[in-house]
Amino acid sequence: MSTLTAPTTAAASPRRRLVSAELLKVTSTKMWLAMLIGVVLYIGIGVVASIFAPEQPGVTTPHLSTAAGMRNLFAQAGGAYLFAIVIGTLGMTQELRHQTLTSTLLAEPRRNRVMVAKMAAYAVIGAIYGAVGVAFGYALALALLPFKTHADIPVTAMWQIAGGAVLGCALFAILGVAVGTLVRNQIAAVMGVVVWVVLVEALLVALLPKVGKWLPGGALNGILQTTGFNGAEYLSVWAGSLVLVGWTAVFAVLAALTTQRRDVT
Amino acid sequence: MTTPPPGSSIDVTGLSKHFGAVLAVDDLSFSVEPGRVTGFLGPNGAGKTTTLRCLLGLVAPTSGTATIGGSTYHDLAHPMRVVGSALEATGFHPGRTATNHLRVLARAGGLDEHRVPEVLDLVGLADSATRTVGGFSLGMRQRLQLAAALLGDPGVLVLDEPANGLDPEGIAWLRAFLRYLAGQGRTVLVSSHVLSEVEQTVDDVVIISRGSLVRACPLADLTAGHGHVVVRTPTPQPLVDALAAQLPGSAVIAGEDGAELLVDGADAATIGRIAFGAQVELHELRPAASDLEQVFLSLTGGATS
Repeated sequence: MSTLTAPTTAAASPRRRLVSAELLKVTSTKMWLAMLIGVVLYIGIGVVASIFAPEQPGVTTPHLSTAAGMRNLFAQAGGAYLFAIVIGTLGMTQELRHQTLTSTLLAEPRRNRVMVAKMAAYAVIGAIYGAVGVAFGYALALALLPFKTHADIPVTAMWQIAGGAVLGCALFAILGVAVGTLVRNQIAAVMGVVVWVVLVEALLVALLPKVGKWLPGGALNGILQTTGFNGAEYLSVWAGSLVLVGWTAVFAVLAALTTQRRDVT
Repeated sequence: MTTPPPGSSIDVTGLSKHFGAVLAVDDLSFSVEPGRVTGFLGPNGAGKTTTLRCLLGLVAPTSGTATIGGSTYHDLAHPMRVVGSALEATGFHPGRTATNHLRVLARAGGLDEHRVPEVLDLVGLADSATRTVGGFSLGMRQRLQLAAALLGDPGVLVLDEPANGLDPEGIAWLRAFLRYLAGQGRTVLVSSHVLSEVEQTVDDVVIISRGSLVRACPLADLTAGHGHVVVRTPTPQPLVDALAAQLPGSAVIAGEDGAELLVDGADAATIGRIAFGAQVELHELRPAASDLEQVFLSLTGGATS
């Protein structure tokens, strides 16, 4: 096709231009902004509740006067992962719902490239959600802590939690893209993801930590080094990271495989 | 303006596609040449869209191939610069503006984003560039699809029912536009389920029915051999007998009221002479008017329902 004289852009690599196109898809509609507002509200409620909620009789959660309690408080800033997985899920299911997948695949018929670019773009969006969540959550926590007696938290721990939250949100966004690809139906996928994260997984992680710590959300607790009910401990930072990366990889590969030859009609 | 890119031929060879038990395309073969507008015709459900989706790598054929310039769509390094396509059931995000929709595609296809305002202007959507597509009429969406197809200034255009939803003015514009593009040497393949819609635009036709090829020929050939002559007479039988005796190659089809005959295999002058010789009174004698739609319906089994 060397005879074609159509306009050529600078030699941006296919990967970079596809990621850039996916990011433009996100920023050219309003959903990402609505989700970002959700991040701020959700983390705001989490932080305020962690600081001011009265003690529950019968359950022992670490108090703010302990190092573990302070870690749990700052880990609230990682709550953006819920919105990261939802926007990832929407990222793929919207293409199916609005039938824009046809245009997407006409522009780049190599489906693996499209899938990788979408996951990379949503990892970026997820990381941004994570970073915004951390910035807002930390600021709110630091503003409100003087009203309560509390232990100190080392700056290194704050950085470690922040890094873990950003990484976790990036991975959850990829997981969302993969789930959306596998489930396809937008309402089913989003409802499924929300019910899983907020209800099923949250309960398993809280009440059955021996099992829950191996789930994606439980692995994130390991990455953030939070402490559960009655002093329950999760995986180490590294083991938690590996488990979450593993879940993401498994779903991503399954999603890519099912997309390879599926008819787009 | 740079010189337009040369078109490549489209070659469909032995293409079949099963959807479960349904055979949507059945051993279909045809070619589409550059510099001409080719109508891809058939009733709804004939397999046109499936064929085009196989050609564009969206649907995997069960067997056979569909190539552009000898290459499958999947193997084109820069597909949008080679083939511009507008398919039915291709959507838009209702909350995205026309400009942003095209910018996304330009980026993904590795095209210059400066083309976006150009193609919007070309299809008459410049004034709606910053409006979200959710508020677009069907005709405007069709124009936006066409703009997307033109983004890469491709040598091959594949348009699925592009006239759907266009007003008469829009259809006239589309006709002229497609002729212009083919005149530049591009390959233009346009599908339609209504022959009359593309009759004035196309050079060649590829007609399919129930997934199989019915005819692939220049449009002019479609009517050749179908030059019926309409004859109206109060006494049909003597004329039928005279025609059968003097023109054994001719065929006569009686009209509904018995007084109107459709004669095949003879021109009006010959029929008039025979009628005169047989002293049959004629009330009407004329070549049947453009009966392309009739030909189309008979070729496709009239299966428009």
